[in-house]
Amino acid sequence: MCRCVPSTFINIHFQYIFFRQVDVIEGCRLPVLRKNQENEDEWPLAEILSVKEIPGRKLYYVHYIDFNKRLDEWVTPERLDMKKLQFPKKEAKTPTKNGLPGSRPSSPEREVPQAQQKCLPTKTSIPDFQVLQQQVQPPTITVHLCFDFLSPLFKSSQNGTARRPMPNQPGRKRKQPPNCGGTDEDSQDSSDGIPSAPRMTGSLVSDRSHDDIVTRMKNIDCIELGRHRLKPWYFSPYPQELTTLPILYLCEFCLKYLKSLKCLQRHLTKCNLRHPPGNEIYRKGTISFFEIDGRKNKTYSQNLCLLAKCFLDHKTLYYDTDPFLFYVMTEYDSKGFHIVGYFSKEKESTEDYNVACILTLPPYQRRGYGKLLIEFSYELSKVEGKTGTPEKPLSDLGLLSYRSYWSQTILEILMDLKPDNGERPQITINEISEITSVKKEDVISTLQYLNLINYYKGQYILTLSEDIVEGHERAMQKRHLPIDPKCLHFTPKDWSKRGKW
Amino acid sequence: MSKLSFRARALDAAKPLPIYRNKDLPDLNDCVSINRAVPQMPTGMEKEEESEHHLQRAISAQSVFREKKENMVIPVPEAESNITYYDRLYKGELRIPKQLFHIQPLGLDNEQPDYDMDSEDEILLNRLNRKMEIKPIQFETMVDRLEKASTNQMVTITEAKLLLNEDDYLLKAVYDYWVRKRKNCRGPSLIPLIKLEKRDGSTNNDAYVAFRRRTEKMQTRKNRKNDEASYEKMLKLRREFSRTVTILEMIKRREKSKRELLHLTLEVVEKRYQMGDFTGEVLSEVTAPLAEKPVYTVPITVTNGNRHNHKAEIKIKTHKSGGLPYHGYHHVSVKDEDPFDFVRPKKKYTRREPLCRPGRPAKRQHIVNKADIKQYDFHSSGEEDYPLSPTSEPDEENDPDGTFAFRRKAGCHYLAPCLDQTSGLLWDHPELAGLDALRHRQSLTALSVPQRCVGLARRRVGRGGRVLLDRASSDLDGVLKQLDSGVFSSSFPKGLSDPQVPTQNHRTMPGSASSLTDLLSNIQALRWRFFRPRSTQGDGSGEGRTGRPSMDNRLSGGLFVHTKNSGSGGITEEQYQVHQQALAQMQKQQLAQLQLKAPPPQQHFSLPERQNTQTAGSTDCIISKTLDSAGAHFAASAVISAPGQVNNENKPDNTSVNGVVQPLGTSRPPHSTSTSQGGTGLDRSGRTPSSCGPLLPASHSTTPQSLPNHRGHGSAVSPAHHHHNARPSPSSLKLATMATSSLDRVPKVTPAISSMARDNHEPERLALNGISETTVPMEVT
Repeated sequence: MCRCVPSTFINIHFQYIFFRQVDVIEGCRLPVLRKNQENEDEWPLAEILSVKEIPGRKLYYVHYIDFNKRLDEWVTPERLDMKKLQFPKKEAKTPTKNGLPGSRPSSPEREVPQAQQKCLPTKTSIPDFQVLQQQVQPPTITVHLCFDFLSPLFKSSQNGTARRPMPNQPGRKRKQPPNCGGTDEDSQDSSDGIPSAPRMTGSLVSDRSHDDIVTRMKNIDCIELGRHRLKPWYFSPYPQELTTLPILYLCEFCLKYLKSLKCLQRHLTKCNLRHPPGNEIYRKGTISFFEIDGRKNKTYSQNLCLLAKCFLDHKTLYYDTDPFLFYVMTEYDSKGFHIVGYFSKEKESTEDYNVACILTLPPYQRRGYGKLLIEFSYELSKVEGKTGTPEKPLSDLGLLSYRSYWSQTILEILMDLKPDNGERPQITINEISEITSVKKEDVISTLQYLNLINYYKGQYILTLSEDIVEGHERAMQKRHLPIDPKCLHFTPKDWSKRGKW
Repeated sequence: MSKLSFRARALDAAKPLPIYRNKDLPDLNDCVSINRAVPQMPTGMEKEEESEHHLQRAISAQSVFREKKENMVIPVPEAESNITYYDRLYKGELRIPKQLFHIQPLGLDNEQPDYDMDSEDEILLNRLNRKMEIKPIQFETMVDRLEKASTNQMVTITEAKLLLNEDDYLLKAVYDYWVRKRKNCRGPSLIPLIKLEKRDGSTNNDAYVAFRRRTEKMQTRKNRKNDEASYEKMLKLRREFSRTVTILEMIKRREKSKRELLHLTLEVVEKRYQMGDFTGEVLSEVTAPLAEKPVYTVPITVTNGNRHNHKAEIKIKTHKSGGLPYHGYHHVSVKDEDPFDFVRPKKKYTRREPLCRPGRPAKRQHIVNKADIKQYDFHSSGEEDYPLSPTSEPDEENDPDGTFAFRRKAGCHYLAPCLDQTSGLLWDHPELAGLDALRHRQSLTALSVPQRCVGLARRRVGRGGRVLLDRASSDLDGVLKQLDSGVFSSSFPKGLSDPQVPTQNHRTMPGSASSLTDLLSNIQALRWRFFRPRSTQGDGSGEGRTGRPSMDNRLSGGLFVHTKNSGSGGITEEQYQVHQQALAQMQKQQLAQLQLKAPPPQQHFSLPERQNTQTAGSTDCIISKTLDSAGAHFAASAVISAPGQVNNENKPDNTSVNGVVQPLGTSRPPHSTSTSQGGTGLDRSGRTPSSCGPLLPASHSTTPQSLPNHRGHGSAVSPAHHHHNARPSPSSLKLATMATSSLDRVPKVTPAISSMARDNHEPERLALNGISETTVPMEVT
């Protein structure tokens, strides 16, 4: 790596200068036009993650700084505000790289990836330039850093993936918490930069140092699932040859991925599933839950994970699905039991996790299903007689959903408490935890978040303010479809006695 | 309270917290500063994500408004839910069962191919389908096997041959196509699969590799996980073995029974030989009292169809000397879905349990007639048509055709099915009820010897050329009795030369005929089919012609009828007549004998009895007698035809054996369709009913049966082609005329006895099934 340093280094400087006016390269930052929720134009600062050339023009994959990655997208040059273009600072790169392993700036990969991107040419960029960049990079890094980078580089080239891999570590461990639920558990041990296999428990990755440009970018344009067309939010390791398709078709019931509508049609003549292939353990009204064993029904579990990965940034698919159970929530209509969302759960969790990944599919989001999933997960914990918590890290949507569920659940208990013999009602945090199966820490954090804990006259008290009470009552009015524990037919198994998983 | 100088104690989760409303604590604000003492809990999110713009906005909105605001939600990429073709894609509906779903762990793996055909494959398939029939699933299975057998290297053509076991042409075509496609394929396999890890660790960082095995945990000790998997497999294995055992046991039983039967038969024959009972008289005498039910013949293909000839021959029913209760006999059936089940309901209805060979799998109920005792054919028990291997069973469940699924045969030319035919079995039309429905399956039939119309009936040809009439009762029965005199007197004399012209017409007429006049006019207008036997005396005039295939105007709508020209065998009309008369004589004698001997007339000859039951007891003896003689007549012709040109013609159930002269002898059926096409070519196919069966859907020809016709314009009508509204078109009329003239030259000999390849006749069977309740089988011996 060191051999060519001087000359290439010079070259690259030259190139930068030469092309500065013309080329927007990876790592550049500039304002990019996008519509906000009110459909107004705004120009948030964005970073160019990748450039590709399609016949006639270039497209840029941008990440909006301080926005979630799920909003990353390919944009046309017209949407770039070239006047405010910032090139990646060379000095900055190295430092950031050094810092990589643990500390990433606010937007997940921004810094690291930038650096990486610079170092690693994308296939889309000019070939010569790419080569130069790659070669150049090592020298700029301090020695110990070199290890981090090099290993990934080489591996990536071995893999032969078209894009450059950045991460040092196991290829994909990334997890993201998506929409509704949080997920938990972080996982890996990668922080030291030595490529090693991620840890084997849990389903989520918190350390993003493994992110590479491949996994940072969405690879599927569109998924058709039953009546729905979904726009994936994140990378998912569907077979690579399927990633170039405009639409990836999934069988609504077995979730098999197919490359064309014709294939789907053919598949449907052979697939007679009309519900997830597991035992139905809950049914009330049109809502059902199916339990699927990740070991016994691998195909379905894997297909489910692949789909879920499209919407869960931190989810890792590094390892097999054996140690997990999958609880799939469906809504019934005359065509069958349509998947609405799911959560997975480790058969045995050493960390009191009662949920690994949790997801409401986008078409069903913001309609209360997420809370239903969460509620169901706690109902299972109640049957097991345990408290539980979702695996971390939570996603933004996961955090909001869980907080909302915890708040409602705890407030309900507090407000229902009646004065006892004329004395003030009181309750311990442990009691709340037992009643709800919400882990103690989550109870405390919720009480804090709601600002209910106060220190008054030498002791802690819980205070309910007017707006909290009103807000809760409003929320409870809107809440429908509670889980009915009587409809749950679930016997927990002692997985430790059945051999591992 | 002023500031505290001490730190608040840590929050104790076990300590009760009193709950206040804010309004109860006016001085609370003073204490606020202390709240910091409670350590802030982490949110559980990643630091850098926590600061994201939209989340922060949502959180602050929540804390301000205490609920979510519409525009403060976190934006996500859109999803659409308006797939318009959803209903077409996911067909069928699912009723929600009352019970919760429970998945059987063993039932999860089905053996469907993972490969799914794409549009490119469809083009190939369509091309291949011009030469042979190949179903998408078959193609997919082939590709699937090729894919799965190929690892890094593609399967070679030799391996492929071993692997696929298909017709060479097909194999080559698919293999070449697959090779080409796979070379162009961007992925490693035509079945898109998730990348697997490689053992060397080189894939540790590959983002597209997923679901790696968690190796370490497995190494240390024996993993019970594996035990469980093996256990399940063992269970499955055991289940399949025990099934095999059952099947083998049943085979054993069957074979034993067959051996027993053979011995018994031999014995019988020897005894008969010693007694000199060459005519079978003694035998019938002996057996008559023993058999609870009269001997009964089920139509069997006597022709030498390739597939069936070795087994479809005459079955012998031995009456065990012990006088087994035949109707109580249970067939040993290897398969539940016996395609021949339809026979049973009918038997039941008529209270005639067919006499069956003990131990035969019930797939084919061969009834043995004593007269046939000379002919033995011991099936090597349906192995051929009943693959017993368990693997074939799943297929059968999915495939309604089961063992009767169409299989290509070398040397046959297959034509594409006429789709519209399949839809329209006439009697499936819901609006056809009662009489109308009956009329499409049965036709009016008359007997020649007692000149009498027996009403609606269908005719089949049984073993040895016996003609069976399946009669149906209808409200017309009363009227039809009058018809006897009316028709026979008026039109019959005229049609001397044309005894066999069946008049048929399937068009529904406005309002079924209910009076004799209506009926007659319908017959004359060819709106009803009416088959009448040729009169013996009239036979002389039609020299060299034995029958005329009936024309059916229903077929003018593009359906073709094949004429079977009976082979120009050496039997002349005169010879035939002589034989016939002789035989008739014999039969009469027999009849008389039997009637004397068998106390209940039922037992022997179905005809009289049938008659009785059908006409609700109003029949008198005379009728039954005359009918018997009519039966004799039929039998005579059957016997005659058998040696000479057995089965040169096939006849549809519905067409008459002995056609009736048309009301006006001169008028030809105006609705003859292009029969010339079938012509002599099909003639031979009459002998190979097995090939005709499969042909059915593929050819224009209707069913493999045709009626030889005096005039030589022949057509056969199969029930499958009853087209409700078809009317003779001018062009078809022309064709008919041409056909008539051209075919006139072909001499025909056989009296209208033909055998029907019933076994192979799917639609027929269906039809039979449907009408079995109203049908009364008739046997004329």
